[in-house]
Amino acid sequence: MSTVGGLEHPIDPLADAPPEGWVAGRSPWALAGHKLVRNRMAMAALAVFLGIVVVSFMGPFYADHIAHTDPFTSQLTATTVINGKRVDVLQQGGGVLKLGETPIGPTWQRNYFLGADSQGRDVAARVLYGGRTSLTIGIGSAVICSLLAVIVGMVAGFYGGVTDSIISRGLDVVWAFPVYLLAISIATVLLTQGLTIGPFSISASSLWLPTLIIAVIYVPYVARPVRGAVLSVREKEFIEAAIAQGASNRRLIFNEILPNVITVLIVLLPLMIATTILTESALSYLSIGVQPPNASWGTIINDGQQLLYTRPWVAIAPGIMIVLTVLSLNVFGDGVRDALDPRAKLRVKD
Amino acid sequence: MQHARRRGLMASACLVLLVGVLAGCGGSSSSSSGGSSGSGGSTTGHMGGTMVLAWNGIGSSIDPAVDYDQNWTLLNMIYDGLVTWKKVGGSDGNTLVPDLAQQIPQATDGGKTYVFHLRPGIMYSDGTAVKASDFLRAIEREFTVPGPVGSFYQGIVGGDACAKTPKSCDLSKGIVADDAAGTVTFHLTAPDPDFLQKLALPFGYAVPSNTPDKEVGPSNPLPATGPYMIDHYTPNQEILLVRNPKFHEWSKDAQPQGYPDKIDIRLSLTSEAEVTMVEKGQADWMYDQPPSDRLNEIATQYTNQVHLNPVPQVYHMALNTRVAPFDNVKVRQAVNYATDRAAIIKAWGGPQVATPTCQILPPDFPGYAAYCPYTTSPGDGKWHGPDMAKAQQLVAASGTKGQKVAVICTPDEASKAICLYFVSLLKQLGYDSSIKVLSAAVEYPYVQDSSNKAQISFSYWYPDYPSGADWFDVVVGCNGFHPNSSASANLSEFCDPTIQKMTEKAIQTSVTDQAAANQMWSQVDKATTDQAPWVSLFLPKHIDFVSARVGNYIFDPNVLVGGILIDQAWVK
Amino acid sequence: MLTFVIRRMIATVFVVFTITVLVFLIFFHTPGVDPARKLAGRNPSPETIKAIKHQYGLDRPLPVQYVILMEKLFITRDLTSYSNQGQKVVPEIVAATPVTLSLVLGAAVIWVVVSIIMGVAAAVLRGTIFDPMLMVLALIGISMPVFWLGEMANLITQDRYHDTFLFSWVPPLGYTPLTQDPVMWFKHLVIPWLVLSVLYIGLYARVLRADLLETENEDYVRTARAKGLSERRVLLRHTLRTSMISFVSLFGLDFGVLVGGGALLVEVVFGLPGVGLLTYQSLISLDLPVIMATVIYGAIFIVIANAVVDVGYAWLDPRVRPA
Repeated sequence: MSTVGGLEHPIDPLADAPPEGWVAGRSPWALAGHKLVRNRMAMAALAVFLGIVVVSFMGPFYADHIAHTDPFTSQLTATTVINGKRVDVLQQGGGVLKLGETPIGPTWQRNYFLGADSQGRDVAARVLYGGRTSLTIGIGSAVICSLLAVIVGMVAGFYGGVTDSIISRGLDVVWAFPVYLLAISIATVLLTQGLTIGPFSISASSLWLPTLIIAVIYVPYVARPVRGAVLSVREKEFIEAAIAQGASNRRLIFNEILPNVITVLIVLLPLMIATTILTESALSYLSIGVQPPNASWGTIINDGQQLLYTRPWVAIAPGIMIVLTVLSLNVFGDGVRDALDPRAKLRVKD
Repeated sequence: MQHARRRGLMASACLVLLVGVLAGCGGSSSSSSGGSSGSGGSTTGHMGGTMVLAWNGIGSSIDPAVDYDQNWTLLNMIYDGLVTWKKVGGSDGNTLVPDLAQQIPQATDGGKTYVFHLRPGIMYSDGTAVKASDFLRAIEREFTVPGPVGSFYQGIVGGDACAKTPKSCDLSKGIVADDAAGTVTFHLTAPDPDFLQKLALPFGYAVPSNTPDKEVGPSNPLPATGPYMIDHYTPNQEILLVRNPKFHEWSKDAQPQGYPDKIDIRLSLTSEAEVTMVEKGQADWMYDQPPSDRLNEIATQYTNQVHLNPVPQVYHMALNTRVAPFDNVKVRQAVNYATDRAAIIKAWGGPQVATPTCQILPPDFPGYAAYCPYTTSPGDGKWHGPDMAKAQQLVAASGTKGQKVAVICTPDEASKAICLYFVSLLKQLGYDSSIKVLSAAVEYPYVQDSSNKAQISFSYWYPDYPSGADWFDVVVGCNGFHPNSSASANLSEFCDPTIQKMTEKAIQTSVTDQAAANQMWSQVDKATTDQAPWVSLFLPKHIDFVSARVGNYIFDPNVLVGGILIDQAWVK
Repeated sequence: MLTFVIRRMIATVFVVFTITVLVFLIFFHTPGVDPARKLAGRNPSPETIKAIKHQYGLDRPLPVQYVILMEKLFITRDLTSYSNQGQKVVPEIVAATPVTLSLVLGAAVIWVVVSIIMGVAAAVLRGTIFDPMLMVLALIGISMPVFWLGEMANLITQDRYHDTFLFSWVPPLGYTPLTQDPVMWFKHLVIPWLVLSVLYIGLYARVLRADLLETENEDYVRTARAKGLSERRVLLRHTLRTSMISFVSLFGLDFGVLVGGGALLVEVVFGLPGVGLLTYQSLISLDLPVIMATVIYGAIFIVIANAVVDVGYAWLDPRVRPA
């Protein structure tokens, strides 16, 4: 597609080459991209987000080569060297009674940088590994949710009529089911036995379970704007014209509707990821998200709850990571929305 | 019994830790080996006040026929049975004494008949008199009210029929109640040396003979016979006990008058909040064990308010003897050798909070003889350290290396920590191990059901009364195993015919000669430990954290109290 | 208009019914979950379990069980909990409701007032540095997991700074009814109110600002300006009022969700025995009657809130009414 430079040079539509003096225009995508890149806050946020992703996926490297620890095995009787002295990682309480075993606090050095948790594991290494899990589930479930929502929304919007009614009612039911309740219900049940549908079987400790659960519960959230986008395109006159010209359904979908839908998705995606990360952390905090031996930021906050008053860093660190990640996604998402659709009619609730 | 909370059975004198301090009342000592330290007149000054307790439960059933140990600490201050355990500190707290009965009868008719004479003149809080037929109603309700405990009384004539068809339950032949004469006669189908102990449980508490077969709810509690009655019970928020005006002390040992005027139990609190409340004096005692991250804090800053007492609770890993690889005794023994009990104790809170064990019976239990084969330098009955070499040898000899093992536990911190330890340990021994966390509501029925083929799970056992039978005939005995049922307390599915014969002989002998029976229980303990259906881990100490104003702390070890004698503590 | 209302009501009932059926199937039909086993308590004999199954009708076909459950819940109202068998379910929820209401109403007052101030300030101060600053603050509010924020609040007020004058008034976690001790009630709720409102302040400030800026471009606003009305008049009289429509509808939805149990994370972290905590506890302990009752309670609130908002919106803005 090309845009007209100005009215002073009328176009001859049958000409082979553009008349001289014309400036090749940009596609809306390119325009949006350009606008986004010039949005410094959004770019900074993107950089922060990518930085967090990179650092998290370097978890294994950190654990092996920098901290020299295995954050997944039990370290109840482990010892470590701090300032030249070898100390127990779990230390017996003091006073006359000597009750309790307290993990060491942050050393701010390579080993046990943020201290140990109640099983003697290196918290910093776990926070990085936890980031891997949280980001994988967050991004994965957002993508799966979008795919499902696109299918559902497009079918509902395109075919309309009874199909649309049924699907909309179905979305209503899922949407009326409070998100937390639905997630907790399904998780509680599936975590006992895992999920078996025909030949496919997912074990209870697999990361697929929380991913799929979170993806499914947010489908109505995305399907509505998608459906709205499909409907709004359908009603435009050029669709009528295209149909009058004999365009097939397939052509309509791919050439006209899909790009509109994709715009919606692109705007929603960063916000979706932010939401899924928050949801996963809440479920894991309630012990019905990620299961041991996997760790995520939410499970580490749960671990930290037991140590909140003695070793608060176990709870503080993963929380800060979540805030930074979600904040950067939100800022970047705002930038994307400003670039693509500044007068967005999408009244999205973040 | 499983999943009981705070119980104590026999205190060991040398493990007494600390004294409750009370300013102004001339001091008071409370040691778990001493008896009740209130002595006559000097204690009347301590009568009165409102004691505040903090609990994170949402409240459990207040129907003695239904509640299984959640509320026993409260119920034993409100209701009475024919017999009970002494309300004193120290090992004497496990002695049976008559309560609503005048004395403890000897069994006649070959051990099958017990005749109780009721104390006259005892009234419920609503003014009606306690009658003999109240006990018939109470035991019948064990079968007719939906709940757990019919099996305790199935030995009574008519009990089997009641268990099968509760609707038509009629125990009048097995429990003959003569209201005019004030006698209750029990007829058993076979002698049961533990029958009196079973009667002492709250299931045997007197209830008015017109009490219906439905469970009693919080808005209409049963009338009380004890020193306190329920004033109101707001679920999730509060239970308030006030003095029962119709109570008069008929036996100081069985049911003494209480000191506080009111006992206010706050519900639905988190353990962290409870610790803070006791520290600030906003609560006088916390029902629950302090969370492990506050242990050091209370031990160092509130030393005088912390009391530690041993309890006969054995935490262990239950090994399924019918599923690979634990169907091979070599593997079970190997895991026992390899387990570093000191590390596990660290996960629990340190060596001051738990003591290691290798065997089934707990110390100071009738029939206990220290025995620990699964250690370096065995022989003195104590555990010294893990023997990894021996463990590796046994695993190699068993030929089971590489097999998959799933270690099952609940989501609470200590359980996860211990299970993860075993996952690591099993990996070290060469198995493909993983952890399986099930929510608390699902885990216990799951591991009991043999069709789930649970291999190894974290568990504990707390005896209902001091008898070897509660261990070897229940949790590691043939009678405790019901295949394909979620009600099968014998998680190890352990049933050895030779050992079963020894158990039955011991039960028989205890009818006539308790001492000889105890010798036999030692042998059974040894034989069972050698077969390793469990990896016995440790016995925890029960921690009572009381506020600064609480005096006269007495630790009563029996199963009804299993901790501080609440109404004997002073708050004034 | 009336047909619209009636149609919404029918849809409401239909949705609630579907939810109850779903919940029933999820929990009653799950492998590994045996209600009879749970009712039987600790160490029952297999015969006891069978007897209980029969007594509670758990050996009947599923549709029959569903009807019995609904009947016990709505008609005879004597449905009892599985975890605490003497405890009737409906009084339990009734007792928990004031706690949740106290929490949500207090937080709502705070978040509405603060977000309006923030949103209006950001819109009016557009172009200065305050606008992005306020919006970043709002974004931070949205980005914090509410349970983590609560834990941090506890860390500060219960432990680290508890003994200073700042926070020594903070009582241990828990709840005191308003009728029992208003001062204590307030003290227990202040920190939870603030924590719960942070997220919503962020959300609503942003929504309000975006709405204000959008309506600024509407024709009728330009007309008002052209007529010579002052900026403040334009803002308060015209744009704010229009923007409040979506603000109010969003508020209705969120309020419905929160009262229906959506504040469960805050209730869990602060130990407030409200409906959210009850829901969570019942889900974790698989206490089916309480689960069913709390789900219905929550769903009813949410669906009613949805319907009220829809109807209200249609009444306020005739363009929205369906043909």
